[in-house]
Amino acid sequence: MATAVVARPVSRTQTRSREEEVLVWPDLVFIEFIAAMLFTITLFLLSFLVNAPLLDQANADVTPNPSKAPWYLLNLQELLLHMNAAMAGVIIPTIWLVIMGAFPYFDREQHGQGVWFGTEKAVRLTIVSAVVGFVGTWFLILWDSGKIAFFLHGWFGLSGGDSLRFLENVRSVQTQLPWPEWSRNITYSPVNIVIIGEDFQHLDFPAWLVEQGIPTMAMVGMSAMLIFSLWRVGWVVTRRDALIVLFSAFVAAYGVLTLTGTAFRGQGQELVFPWELKVSEGIPGQE
Amino acid sequence: MAVEQPTKPTVGDKLYDMMFHNYVWKSIFRTGYPNTPRNQMLVVATNLFLHLHPTRIHRTHVKITHTYCLGGLSFFMFLGLTVTGILLMFYYVPSVERAYLDIQTIQNTVEFGQLMRNMHRWMAHAMVILVFMHMMRVFYTGAYKPPREFNWVVGVILLVLTFLLSFTGYLLPWDQLAFWAITVGTNIAGSAPVLGPKTRFWLLGGFEVGPQALIRFYTLHVIGLPLLAAIFMAVHFWRIRRDGGLARPL
Repeated sequence: MATAVVARPVSRTQTRSREEEVLVWPDLVFIEFIAAMLFTITLFLLSFLVNAPLLDQANADVTPNPSKAPWYLLNLQELLLHMNAAMAGVIIPTIWLVIMGAFPYFDREQHGQGVWFGTEKAVRLTIVSAVVGFVGTWFLILWDSGKIAFFLHGWFGLSGGDSLRFLENVRSVQTQLPWPEWSRNITYSPVNIVIIGEDFQHLDFPAWLVEQGIPTMAMVGMSAMLIFSLWRVGWVVTRRDALIVLFSAFVAAYGVLTLTGTAFRGQGQELVFPWELKVSEGIPGQE
Repeated sequence: MAVEQPTKPTVGDKLYDMMFHNYVWKSIFRTGYPNTPRNQMLVVATNLFLHLHPTRIHRTHVKITHTYCLGGLSFFMFLGLTVTGILLMFYYVPSVERAYLDIQTIQNTVEFGQLMRNMHRWMAHAMVILVFMHMMRVFYTGAYKPPREFNWVVGVILLVLTFLLSFTGYLLPWDQLAFWAITVGTNIAGSAPVLGPKTRFWLLGGFEVGPQALIRFYTLHVIGLPLLAAIFMAVHFWRIRRDGGLARPL
């Protein structure tokens, strides 16, 4: 057959008997029609009840506090608060999209397709990874806000004193530890590569550690550790299992970041409860 | 032996006959309601809009819990957004002087204008959510596995295009919400190493959100990105068929 030359052959062709088949008209077309109608009606109702927001006309001189990106980008805006801007805003999402696109090239096993949670421990892995991603992300956000140290001190009178101040949040690793002077200016390249004015010759190690090192370790390290430990327990068996762990943890972390950025970030991007969230329009005299 | 006589046609039958068996109707719809399996397959295979589908599918694929219709609904949102978007385009001029006033006009003066704007906005949000959920469905049912690897990649591209479509539309009302969201959003893009500032400048047509940014976002939103998305969608749907329909256990 001529098409066999261009079409990648499937190792096992799928056959089906006539008894297993249904006709697209009416069995599928009607389902599609009903789904489309349900959504049309729901969206019409929603549109009758809730108006799309329209604030004052755009004004470059009046900055609302907080200023927020559209909700589906608030996960990135949330990441920006915790690490280097280029890493949070561009590098991590790009790398993640590439990793996600590469899923099928990593897991090439044909088995387990077409059914929900196709492996033996898939449901368990999904739940465990989602919980770890959810709790882990929340913990990291809370830690970096300094609120954990605050609560430990305020509620339980626990304080590590000055020697443990560096654990207060991520930034205090840079500011509270006695880094030697040389570590703040390490020359690692004999020549300075200047691209659009950035200094690529010297490295401020404590700053690098806080802005890039720790976040990378947290993300890559925690995912690797999660997959590794679930493999040691014997739950992760195939590559598919590893992907389920990775993807479920991602979805949970993505959800937490989006939710935090949307509902838990008040003025000055302070971590607040949703009911405390107020937006200042930025108009002088109306703060 | 008594031969069965045809019953006398009722008024209903006559009306039905008049409406659906006349010359004009038959020139548009060549057959009546397809009530035999053969005609039902023919109608799917020969109708322009239905021929995206195969004529028969495996029975597990009509189970709602298998797909929750998420992919189809994402496409349906795209169609709905196109319709409401075109209606909004009649009234909207992407200039800094007019944009905000046009939105106010749409809301206050245009008949059903507020409704159209609301529909466009909520459908856009729905599409982002549906596309993401569709991705989750495909992942958890292992539908990216061979031979559907590349279609998964196309899907990831479509996810990005959906975000971009929504993002470029966000600026158009030209209110404080739009202006500052896009300022924050493009600052995120601008933070990329090496290429960031250039990308931001290229997106905005300047160093800050202004008239050039508005016209660029508008053009991308109403023609550039939808065209690109349509091409990738065509590939996406085509490959579903080429790869043997929806995934099912081997």
